[in-house]
Amino acid sequence: MICIIALIVFGVMAIFSAKYRPVAKEALDCVFRRVTFRKCESRLDVRLKGQITGKLMKSHPKIAKFIYKRFEIISWIMLAIMIWSTISSGIAVYNYAMYGNCNGKQNGEAFCVFDPAGKSSFSTAVTNYSGPVVLPSFGNDSFIGPRDAKVEIIEFGCYRCPYTRKAEATVKQILKDYKGKVVYTFRDFPLSDRHFDAELHAFAARCAGDQGKYWEFRDYMFEKFDTMNHDEKGMKQLASDFGLNVTQFNECFDSRKYMPQIEDDVRAGVMAGVYGTPTFFINNKTIVGPQDYEMFKPIIDRALKQ
Amino acid sequence: MMDLSKFRNDFNILQKKIKGIPIIYFDNACMTLRPRQVVEAMNEYYNEYPACGERSEHALGKRVTEEVEKSRREIAKFIGAKKDKEIIFTKNTTEGINLVANSFGLNNNSAFGSKKTVLLSEKEHNSNLLPWLRLKKKSGIGVEFVKFEEEFDIEDFSRKVKNAGLVSMVWTSNMDGTSIPVEKVIKIAHENKVPVMIDAAQAAPHKAIDVRKLDADFLAFSGHKMLGPAATGILYGKQEMLEKLESFAIGGGTVQDSTYDSMVMEEIPERFEAGLQNYAGIIGMSAATRYLSSVGMGNIEKHEKMLNEKASKAVVNAGGEILGGKDASKRSGILSFNLSNIDAHTVAIMLNESRNIMMRAGRHCVHSYFNAHNIGGSARASFYFYNTPEEVEAFSEEIKKIAEMGK
Repeated sequence: MICIIALIVFGVMAIFSAKYRPVAKEALDCVFRRVTFRKCESRLDVRLKGQITGKLMKSHPKIAKFIYKRFEIISWIMLAIMIWSTISSGIAVYNYAMYGNCNGKQNGEAFCVFDPAGKSSFSTAVTNYSGPVVLPSFGNDSFIGPRDAKVEIIEFGCYRCPYTRKAEATVKQILKDYKGKVVYTFRDFPLSDRHFDAELHAFAARCAGDQGKYWEFRDYMFEKFDTMNHDEKGMKQLASDFGLNVTQFNECFDSRKYMPQIEDDVRAGVMAGVYGTPTFFINNKTIVGPQDYEMFKPIIDRALKQ
Repeated sequence: MMDLSKFRNDFNILQKKIKGIPIIYFDNACMTLRPRQVVEAMNEYYNEYPACGERSEHALGKRVTEEVEKSRREIAKFIGAKKDKEIIFTKNTTEGINLVANSFGLNNNSAFGSKKTVLLSEKEHNSNLLPWLRLKKKSGIGVEFVKFEEEFDIEDFSRKVKNAGLVSMVWTSNMDGTSIPVEKVIKIAHENKVPVMIDAAQAAPHKAIDVRKLDADFLAFSGHKMLGPAATGILYGKQEMLEKLESFAIGGGTVQDSTYDSMVMEEIPERFEAGLQNYAGIIGMSAATRYLSSVGMGNIEKHEKMLNEKASKAVVNAGGEILGGKDASKRSGILSFNLSNIDAHTVAIMLNESRNIMMRAGRHCVHSYFNAHNIGGSARASFYFYNTPEEVEAFSEEIKKIAEMGK
């Protein structure tokens, strides 16, 4: 089975480099012989098995033994995964060609990183920035955790973005599991080219911060997101419902006094190459999209060990 | 115990690493590494006198002739030949055997006698099998084989040699390292008035050879299996035997004179060295023999046996099967083996991937033996004097791990 995988992999590589053509040819010959119930004379399968297990044997002899014993089954599984991922990629390409979005028709729940035209539903922001990439600083926004923690997590997010909201559960889990070990801050990256009201939520959260309720109001806003109105009136109503000093809130909100800070955040995000929300920087390692907790954990653990 | 570090420093490749891991070279039966002295001797030819030998009278040409003849003398001395002209330069053992096979005249009224059968052993390399099989097919000569398992069957040999016109046999098998009792074989053959050619490709690099004492009529070996440059070889022949041989390949350098319908051949050895020779290779090969003499052939033989004993023990402990028997002292520097449930090629590839241990797997050009015994092939480690006990230790560790996989 490994010959079929080799044929696909080296076949593709052979298109771009002549170096891989003899191996691709060998793999083709091997596959042809196997499907005609003959022995693979080039012994490509034996070579690949030996190379893979030999490399592993150096550092992980038990895993090497496991793979050696079940090489044929593992090859079948790999082939199945390869076929599945090829079909999935094909569907994504089709969707992209048909709908301008690899997820198919406008889909508010799924995340699609591959979206160069920016047609994916509410997920990405396309910037025209072409200068050098500058990794973001922690900034002066509110944060959770000890400021001198070994691991800094910076999130660039937009309240209006469904993926930013989706990532919130993971953020909460991280802050719970790594309490005292990480410091987290949320930097505003409102996708105002898609949502004319995207910045309003950022203003509202920051104005709540004036009353010492930034994080609490943020949580409340996420909680009520689907039922609230997202215009100015809706923001003020939300502040009132939450129990903020309405006069103080309205004064802050109407004055747009946090516009420079939000613009600073956006600038920092653009210069850091942020093209979609949410984007996380964990001690300068980047994660894009509402990824699972398991994706964050090893990165944070490694950063803690360094 | 030899001072290995002194010798190892002469081999640049042994100082190098691949992916941060030192190279462990156990494929010496195929080709050995070369010390800098050999490379320098070849470079000297290319840098100082890169011209034609044996024909041009200018200063460079004369120097080439001198160096080539000096090399011939040194190589003759290395194997104990009586005269320099008994040394013919070839490109490998295969060419030497082919020269004899195609010049000996088994297929017509040979000057050597009327018996038209060549006697081989059962462990011949294709180089000492195919030329005879072709003659059998083309000219109807007989090809007989002497039984050779762990031990060479000398009784079978004694019976069959009576009908042979020539004995052509491998001294030490490249497949499993076992040797024929070469002195006894030659003695019995000569008692029956049968000339003997010895394939010494795996013997000459590993033990001291004295062709006069041995009384071999022909003896072929390769330079690249004994520190020499690639594609260099020697065919030794007793003067009286060579003089009876017809040249196989003829052309430039092999004739004294020619007309449109006649030619006067050169004397030996020139008449067997057709065309322009591999001068750098010849000079490099004599540098290799000088180097081997400085190490001492006795030391080499002893050291290889010690390594082979250690490595063989590891293979036996891992449950492996050794071709040619467990007794390493009878297998020169060669260890040919199979581990249960693991293909020989896979073993070789794994060793290469895990520790840069380089060895060969397959049928080692002795397909006939493997086919007759229904064995798919074997992994083969072949040692030389620059290999160390620590390298064998690394090999043993890896063999243990690989054998575990098959369990």
